[in-house]
Amino acid sequence: MNAEEFGTPRRYFILRLAVLAIVGVLFVRLYMLQLFSYEEYAGESEKNSVRMITTDPVRGYIFDRNGKLIVDDGPSFTITVTQSEFHNYDIGGLATLLDLDPSTLQDRINRGVVNAHSRFTPVKVKRDIDFGTLSSIEEHLFELPGVSYDVESKRIYVGPARAAHLLGYCKEIGDAQLAKFGERYKLGDLIGFSGIEASYEQLLRGEKGKEFISVNAKGQVLGSFDNGKEDVPPREGFDLILSVDFDLQEFAESLMKPYKGAFVALDPNDGGVLAMVSSPDYDPSVFSGVTTADEWDKLNDNPDKPLFNRATMTLYPPGSTFKMVLAAAALQEGVIDKNWRITCPGGFRYGNRFFKCTHVHGSVNVVEAIEKSCNTFFYQLILKVGLDRWHEYAQKFGFGRKTYVDIDEEVAGLVPSSAYYDREYGKGHWTQGFVVNLGIGQGEIGVSPLQMALYAATLANGGVLYQPRIVHYVRNKATNRIEEVAHNSTDLGISPNVMALIREGMRRCVESPGGTGSLARIPGIVVGGKTGTAENPHGEDHAWFVGFAPFNHPKIAVACIVENAGYGGTKAAPICGQVMERYLLGKKSPTPEPPAVTASRMQNESGGPSQVTPNN
Amino acid sequence: MNSYIKEYFDYKTLLSGLALVCIGLTSIYSATLDVNSAANFYRQGLWSMVGLIALMVAAFFPIKSLQRLSLPMYVASIGLLAAILVLGHTVNSSKSWFGIGGMGMQPSEIAKVTSVLALASYLSKPTVSISNVKHLIISIGIFVLPLLLILRQPDLGTAIVFFATLLPILYWAGASYFVLTAILVPILVAAGALFGIAQFLIAAAIGAGLLYATSKNKFAAAVAFGITLAIGLSVQIVFEHLEPYQQRRIATFLNPNADPTGAGYNVLQSKTAIGSGGFWGKGYLHGTQTQLKYIPEQWTDFIFCVTGEEFGFVGGCVVLFLFAFLLLHGLHIAGISKNKFGSIAAVGLISVIATHLIVNMGMDMGLMPVIGIPLPFLSYGGSALITNMAMLGLLMNFFAHRKEY
Repeated sequence: MNAEEFGTPRRYFILRLAVLAIVGVLFVRLYMLQLFSYEEYAGESEKNSVRMITTDPVRGYIFDRNGKLIVDDGPSFTITVTQSEFHNYDIGGLATLLDLDPSTLQDRINRGVVNAHSRFTPVKVKRDIDFGTLSSIEEHLFELPGVSYDVESKRIYVGPARAAHLLGYCKEIGDAQLAKFGERYKLGDLIGFSGIEASYEQLLRGEKGKEFISVNAKGQVLGSFDNGKEDVPPREGFDLILSVDFDLQEFAESLMKPYKGAFVALDPNDGGVLAMVSSPDYDPSVFSGVTTADEWDKLNDNPDKPLFNRATMTLYPPGSTFKMVLAAAALQEGVIDKNWRITCPGGFRYGNRFFKCTHVHGSVNVVEAIEKSCNTFFYQLILKVGLDRWHEYAQKFGFGRKTYVDIDEEVAGLVPSSAYYDREYGKGHWTQGFVVNLGIGQGEIGVSPLQMALYAATLANGGVLYQPRIVHYVRNKATNRIEEVAHNSTDLGISPNVMALIREGMRRCVESPGGTGSLARIPGIVVGGKTGTAENPHGEDHAWFVGFAPFNHPKIAVACIVENAGYGGTKAAPICGQVMERYLLGKKSPTPEPPAVTASRMQNESGGPSQVTPNN
Repeated sequence: MNSYIKEYFDYKTLLSGLALVCIGLTSIYSATLDVNSAANFYRQGLWSMVGLIALMVAAFFPIKSLQRLSLPMYVASIGLLAAILVLGHTVNSSKSWFGIGGMGMQPSEIAKVTSVLALASYLSKPTVSISNVKHLIISIGIFVLPLLLILRQPDLGTAIVFFATLLPILYWAGASYFVLTAILVPILVAAGALFGIAQFLIAAAIGAGLLYATSKNKFAAAVAFGITLAIGLSVQIVFEHLEPYQQRRIATFLNPNADPTGAGYNVLQSKTAIGSGGFWGKGYLHGTQTQLKYIPEQWTDFIFCVTGEEFGFVGGCVVLFLFAFLLLHGLHIAGISKNKFGSIAAVGLISVIATHLIVNMGMDMGLMPVIGIPLPFLSYGGSALITNMAMLGLLMNFFAHRKEY
């Protein structure tokens, strides 16, 4: 209680004592460990020590909607080198056996050692070697200390459909991802790179296990520690059950094979993807083992871009298929009614420009205008509805924004508004002339085939926009339950009368004698649809068709684009008709087994399937 | 010239500190001896050069300015600690790093020194008396503020260092035994509560006795004891809210054999490494435990295993001797210094080093729970090394100015 106590000799003495006590305690402990119990610890260090190794989980299997296995796991042999036991003069011999450059081999060993912070951890130097190489290595194994092999698993694509863009592929993890994910991955691990292999990576992958093994002072394995009681088995990756019908997928692929383009089929009642084709495609097994530089270059340099998912990542003008958006806006907003008519003289003059129609249609109302695809009707209608109201309805139907389908490769597309034109050209520097062409889906507008299929599904089900999903259920290996992947839906609030008029136009487009979509007809089933032509400044126009069937209770909605096929009715419509027929009449598939529980779509760090409400 | 050096240049602090840095570099080299990965060794070497500059600046900085600047430096480091909670990186589930380019910086390392300087500066003011309750509360507050910010990161180890540094400083500055007891007893009772109800009651009884014995005002003793009981009882609730890894660590501390493959695994391997070193050690770069990488990230908190395994009891004793020499010499500076600021700050700095020493080496040898704080001068890590070397410079500075009031 008195300030004179500062720094007194007595306090100095006590602090000194405290320092000596700390050092003394540590000294005594050091003495006990290193001299008194030396024998015990030396023995432990000498004979048995515990080391932890990680064990890889089996990647989840993938099934189609009918429970058919479509992606399997098979054994793959990987050669490993443990640097502490490996003699460097063997590097040439091993490189020859593995058909590798000695410097490449050395580099892989070095990188692996740095990554593991240890010379005692086996480094994967060559993955997925063939049986011939494996047996020749096995013959020489006794001369090659430190060389061993691991049995790993690799993806086996059962086929016959390829579904390459939808499934995606796995590849050895790259440096950037390794840095991002840290300790959860090791050099040489596989990771999903695209498609659902990437978006469901964290579920498919499972969790690594831990195995404790006893090793001697030289690092040689003596056996399992404590009879494996401490081991943590790897948790298997979750299985995915897709909404895709693999038989239908194969059929659609075979129809699309001669063309460049894309085809998407959806279940209009829940937004499930029944088939998704991007053509040309590639064989996903190219990536399942080791991809040679040659194979990769061949795919990557191909001018037709087979690696690119045209179904979700290419934007085309929608052409006449977009007329239903404008009709919906006009009818719902009360701009016109079903009796409103115009007379088509074969085109429309606006200012000093003449916008052509395909024919001289004479007097047409909205249903007839959709049926006959009268451009004049829609040139005039968009001026009445206005750009921004039209834009609002395009957005409602899912255009100009992502659909949030459960793969990451997706573009939002473009639907212009006055704000967009103000930004691009400056206020007052664009005219209504820009707008007229949008009425028939041409001009500065870009949509993906998936968006178009979603649009067809929304028209089919009477106005409910679903978040499309490829994966329907996940089999949770931890709880052994089947969980549904959650997704959103939005009722667009368009009146049934309006929808009925638009659908009637689409029915007539296919079913009436003069309809442009007549090639999409299915015997005995009423089909609704619409053809379109996407103007292509670089060559022949692209052909569109969107549609759904059966007309009254639709079970399938489709969209198809065939590049450079000219007019939509001839190439795209028959493909859609045949696929719908196959689905409805051919190998008819039962609905997938009902889920035991409903779980929300699982979020994960890799930014897997995102849960987004499409319209709010 | 020679006598001038003897008078003003504290070569004892410098040499003992640098010897420890060299032992650290040697051990880090061994722990990371792998293809290409001696990078850690070179980086630590580079940081020790930066540390040497920090040491020189700290040693020759005018002491009056240092005392004046201690408040702004303290405020700045508190600002950094607050900012890190918002902006920092998360390393090992603790938010304690700032990234600058490719380098990381830990403000809590800097805050240790600035808090010691700020408290020493405050307590050395002629108008401030430790027996004044208001001044005492301000003094405690200077340490509690950074302590709470660090606990939020959450970095339990560094928070313990702050607490363990506060008591010797107050003690040296002349705080009464009652005040010290009133700060310490709640912690003891809280620790007792972690072990169980019986331990809690025993600790509470001892605490009550100590408070009664050291107090002159029995009412104050009763109030302090009431607060103590409240803290002890709430510990169970706090324990429930600790990070799971911290709960595991406490549980492992109470019974290390319960979990030989989890948190206890490191301690088991660490003890085996040190114990198997024997009298002379297994020889440099020949420690089997070290070279086989039984202990993850051995070059940071478990660096003493390398020294213990490869240089044995002899090497361990050299390290302990150097620490003892440095700490006792630092205390000597505090004892002979007529400059109250330098004297109190010197006690603070050696308390920081001593706490790190007992917690880190105690952990490596299985005496303490696994609390991640580095061994000063030896562990790999730039912020810590540079700060520790600056602390050597400060001790040298206080030595040089020991005769100035």
